[in-house]
Amino acid sequence: MAVAEKPARRGRRGSMFATLLFKALLRRGGRAGVAAASIVVGAAVVAALMSLYLDISIKMSEELRAFGANFYVGPAVAGGERGIAEDTYAAVLREIPNDRMVGASPLLYGIVRLDLGPAVMAGVDFRGLRQISPYWQVEGSWVGVAFDERNAMIGRRLAESMELKVGDTVTVINRERTQNTRLIVKGIVDTGAAEDEQMFVNLSLAQKLLNLPGRVDFAMLSLIAQGPEADAMATRVNAGVPGVEAKPIRKISQSDGQILDKIEGLMALVALTILIITTLCVNATLSAMVAERTPEIGLQKALGAENRAIVSQFLAETALICVAAVAVGLILGFGLAQVLGQAVFNAWVTFRPAVVPLTLIVSLAAALIAAILPVRGAIGVVPARVLKGE
Amino acid sequence: MDALAEGMPMEGCATYGAPARDVIEIGGLYKRFGAVTALDGVDLTIRAGEFVAIMGPSGSGKTTLLNILSCLDTPSEGRYLLDGIETATLDGKAQAVVRREKIGLVFQQFHLIPYLSAVENVMLAQHYHSVADRDEAMAALERVGLGPRAQHLPSQLSGGEQQRACIARALINEPAIVLADEPTGNLDEKNEELVMALFQQLHAEGRTLVLVTHNPELGARTQRIIRLNHGRVEA
Ligand SMILES: Nc1ncnc2c1ncn2[C@@H]1O[C@H](COP(=O)(O)OP(=O)(O)O)[C@@H](O)[C@H]1O
Ligand SMILES: [Mg+2]
Repeated sequence: MAVAEKPARRGRRGSMFATLLFKALLRRGGRAGVAAASIVVGAAVVAALMSLYLDISIKMSEELRAFGANFYVGPAVAGGERGIAEDTYAAVLREIPNDRMVGASPLLYGIVRLDLGPAVMAGVDFRGLRQISPYWQVEGSWVGVAFDERNAMIGRRLAESMELKVGDTVTVINRERTQNTRLIVKGIVDTGAAEDEQMFVNLSLAQKLLNLPGRVDFAMLSLIAQGPEADAMATRVNAGVPGVEAKPIRKISQSDGQILDKIEGLMALVALTILIITTLCVNATLSAMVAERTPEIGLQKALGAENRAIVSQFLAETALICVAAVAVGLILGFGLAQVLGQAVFNAWVTFRPAVVPLTLIVSLAAALIAAILPVRGAIGVVPARVLKGE
Repeated sequence: MDALAEGMPMEGCATYGAPARDVIEIGGLYKRFGAVTALDGVDLTIRAGEFVAIMGPSGSGKTTLLNILSCLDTPSEGRYLLDGIETATLDGKAQAVVRREKIGLVFQQFHLIPYLSAVENVMLAQHYHSVADRDEAMAALERVGLGPRAQHLPSQLSGGEQQRACIARALINEPAIVLADEPTGNLDEKNEELVMALFQQLHAEGRTLVLVTHNPELGARTQRIIRLNHGRVEA
């Protein structure tokens, strides 16, 4: 009522808030920098450990998904006749104890022409392939019968480019155009990997089309054997069957998985320790910042700022420092993940986008926890006391 | 006089030039800090449009009284009506609302935010009141003769200029009353005169002003002097 009528104010609610936010931060650049540096360190360690953990876990499951096979058998020497003989493959299988064998399939690759263009064709043993590829997603169904030369399976992307659906018929012609056969698409395969571009037919048919009777390029086996046991199995096959090279496939193998399981707790502990140290550092810095700004806060209150306004300003400043620091921390953390990945798993760590929000959330939580006491200090400022003259 | 004031209808009471509306009405006010009684039963009425000086020796309770008047502090006992609002019962949030709606403060130490320009300092008061409006803030600075210095930081302004920015800030939300605690205490004579002239001009415009000072010459240039001694108003 005492306020005289005057024209309504023009201005945006947020703009003064933003001005105050940025200028206050710039003014305390040094302290803001110290707080940011602690958060960078915390975020980097968290991002590194999280990257490592996520990536190794994903790689392990991806490899399981892509290939249940953990054993490779191929020709010992290059040159000479292509691949290995089917009989040799049979001899390899005889070396493997029955109770260790999950499944096995020979593979023979070649280029063929389909109705709409060329494609990579793989000759396989469908029953064995199914056993070593438990994670393949198949639309339609697997080719079940052995020696089935009427049906084929085809990769998702190849099927799309050839405009083929389950139940369609496709004509397969060999490169020399001397052979052709009509096949029914029994199943469409989706693995997210190279198989999506390939076509799968029975080995005997592939041998005919490619004119390679009795040959296979190599074989993939799925064995119940890990680490040293798998190595022993390879030695036994190599000794027992001349002309082949058998080796366990191991990029990120089960043994790495065991390492991951073992250091999982350690990594969590390290991350937690670093986060606690970060929180303490940020807390100390913000407390000093609030102490320095006591007269300012007193003035803001005297001007009629409510506690809510003071709290949101400090939290926004903290969040801003934190977001900037996390951006830097993520980059450093990804570098650190490579060092750790090489040292522990002998593998490069792929960037996993999930690390970004996770690191941000964890760092923001740490920074906001660190801000609780300083912000309470800011709320506690008594303007009458700090604005006193004299 | 009280009866007259209370009998007046609040509606239709213009801010400027109204003869008898009480802006401040204090009765039996005590403020104790532990064993120290800073205000010892103060009764006081200030009407709209008055220009009042509060004077008294150091430690007599002038600042304590002004803090209570500006709702920065609450009395230990007693009644304080500000522009018709009973303030003793207000919580912290409501006090903040009263401060930004009713009070304009001028400090001896200016208390401008050091990293905001003069105009941004004025806009800050608008911001906490409602919304910052640069044009309006600029106009307020021009009125105190600071238009050309509006973009300067406080550190780039003289003491007198800082105090004028502070006065522009105190006036920006059209407060019911402007309270100034030793506003010229840190100024040289020339700037003291400038600020005092500004206060007199504001008074002439119809504002209600309370000036705490220990300088009798300044006190003499107000309409009325309230003398404090040991926390009591001298007759
Ligand atoms: N926050 C406080 N705590 C304790 N004593 C105080 C406080 N504020 C003021 N006082 C005391 O109250 C009395 C009045 O102080 P003040 O109002 O500052 O006087 P003035 O402004 O007139 O110099 C003084 O004795 C002072 O020491
Ligand atoms: Mg004083």
